[in-house]
Amino acid sequence: MTSVIEVAAPSAVGRTTNKMSIVMFSGTADKFIPLGVLAQAGAAMGMEVEIFVTGFALRAFTKEHPQLPFPAEFAEMAPALAQGMEASHVASWDAMMRQAKDLGAKVHVCSMMCGVMGLTLDDFDAELVDDMVGAATFVQSAEGSETFFI
Amino acid sequence: MEQTATTTLVDSRGSACPGPITDLALAYRRSKVGDVIELWATDPGVKPDVRAWAAKTGNQVMSIEDHDGKIVVVVQITKR
Repeated sequence: MTSVIEVAAPSAVGRTTNKMSIVMFSGTADKFIPLGVLAQAGAAMGMEVEIFVTGFALRAFTKEHPQLPFPAEFAEMAPALAQGMEASHVASWDAMMRQAKDLGAKVHVCSMMCGVMGLTLDDFDAELVDDMVGAATFVQSAEGSETFFI
Repeated sequence: MEQTATTTLVDSRGSACPGPITDLALAYRRSKVGDVIELWATDPGVKPDVRAWAAKTGNQVMSIEDHDGKIVVVVQITKR
């Protein structure tokens, strides 16, 4: 398993796997930027992209489309960051996710955490979520692939 | 009957990473072997990214040129 900060690490270079797996766990706005970038870039590279959404990330994928909070330690930077991203024409995380899905990425929500949070598949934006699975399905599908935990 | 090879211009200027490489991937989906895709971009990440994309997908980068901030990449489609 590789964490987000190690994306460009030399150890990741030279792998021949053609699959990228992402466990999306965090629920803050900052973490959704690497999710969108990795998913879209992986899909554009012709890789099979599988995203398992669980924990605090689930709510962002619902039909409610809640405003995502910034973590307290970066709150001061948030306005400047938002301004910079707009000036650089960086796409929103959900636009990147839609693009990734258009290129074949698959998004699965975690059945256990959905149960805990009282969410059913109907609560999710069908354009962002494909299905609901258990952890074993994801572990099996991620076997042998590059896996990121965000 | 063989189809004629075409050249497609993809203008991704102003689009941030991973926009240009995604635009290239979308044009690639509509292409056939022998086609040429010319990609215009301003995000400097496109230079190494296009080489990585070509290595990953088995296509060929013919040239990468910088014209006052406009990066012009020419890719030959050799694999579909």
